[in-house]
Amino acid sequence: MRVRAWSAWMASTLAVAALVHVGSLYALPYLVMHRAWSLMGDRNTMHHGARADANSRMIVRPSPDLLYSTCPYDLSKGPLEVRATIPHDTYWSVSAFDDDTNNWYVLDDRQTEHSKLDLVVQSPDHDKEVAATEHRLVVTSPTRRGLILIRTLINDDDRLDAIDRTRRLATCGLLPAGQ
Amino acid sequence: MKFAPKLAVSAIAGVALGLFATWATVIHGPGPDALADGPWRTSLTIGSAKSGPYTRASVAIHGLLALNRSETIYYTAFTDSSGAALDGACTYDIVGHDPDARWWSITAYGADDYLIPNPVDRYSISKNSVLRASDGSFSASVGSAAHVQNWIPTTREPFSLTLRLYNPGASVQSEPAQASLPVIVKEACS
Repeated sequence: MRVRAWSAWMASTLAVAALVHVGSLYALPYLVMHRAWSLMGDRNTMHHGARADANSRMIVRPSPDLLYSTCPYDLSKGPLEVRATIPHDTYWSVSAFDDDTNNWYVLDDRQTEHSKLDLVVQSPDHDKEVAATEHRLVVTSPTRRGLILIRTLINDDDRLDAIDRTRRLATCGLLPAGQ
Repeated sequence: MKFAPKLAVSAIAGVALGLFATWATVIHGPGPDALADGPWRTSLTIGSAKSGPYTRASVAIHGLLALNRSETIYYTAFTDSSGAALDGACTYDIVGHDPDARWWSITAYGADDYLIPNPVDRYSISKNSVLRASDGSFSASVGSAAHVQNWIPTTREPFSLTLRLYNPGASVQSEPAQASLPVIVKEACS
């Protein structure tokens, strides 16, 4: 009887351990992303971070060779519009991440001939499709909340100021009604 | 022991065990689908919605906002090419040729996954900054002993190196475990 009772307690302990392990495994990305999203500043606004150094503590493993611009988005009030100037003399990309850390969209400077980016991000439960045009890309986020990240490579330290000025032209905000 | 205290002990032990398993497998362990190319490790599903829960959780902790492999392949080394753990008390040479990518960099990170403080604010070598020999090869030093060029400073703490390949070439994309990547050779320890 004692052995059977001991086995039952062991089994229940292991069952709890398995549930906690699986639950924490799935919760971790969401919690980490939500923390980063909360720390990045105002929603639907582009934030241009300083060049990463040893004092950069918001996102792990930053590259000191890239300039990062971030826009934490919340599509509950409508689509987001991201505008940027695309440099074609260095690596540049715009990427989007859902609230579970997945990189669901990326476009780099070699994948477009345009010098300007006009990207509209729609909510997964949008009720009116925004029309794409020759100059406007329209994509649908898998989640209402997420993050836009623009990377610009500093391919020449002597050109840092010019590269920084160009990437600071990037903006994001709610798409004006009627557009 | 009565039923209620037994239940509490069982629940507490289960929670502790479950959290330890997460810590051991994700926070303090490599991803289960990692590929190795010498000392360099990568995963084919970094950044992808197809990644499993272990890889996704590991990326959230150690590489949040990583791009998917079509855009960038990230390799990380926690050991040198002989398999010994990277140690800040030692100096290393990174020797090789440019990897097959539009742009690459190798950056040192402390055990906390952040850039390592150093007096010259230098954290990486890259395709743009590395100085090469006449045959195109390069050799860079990693350690606390100062060098004028091709130097990634570290402190005496454990560290790791991340190799980023932006717009990786077709050969790296198709066979990331067979890519021609730099070797990491231990030179001396103090």
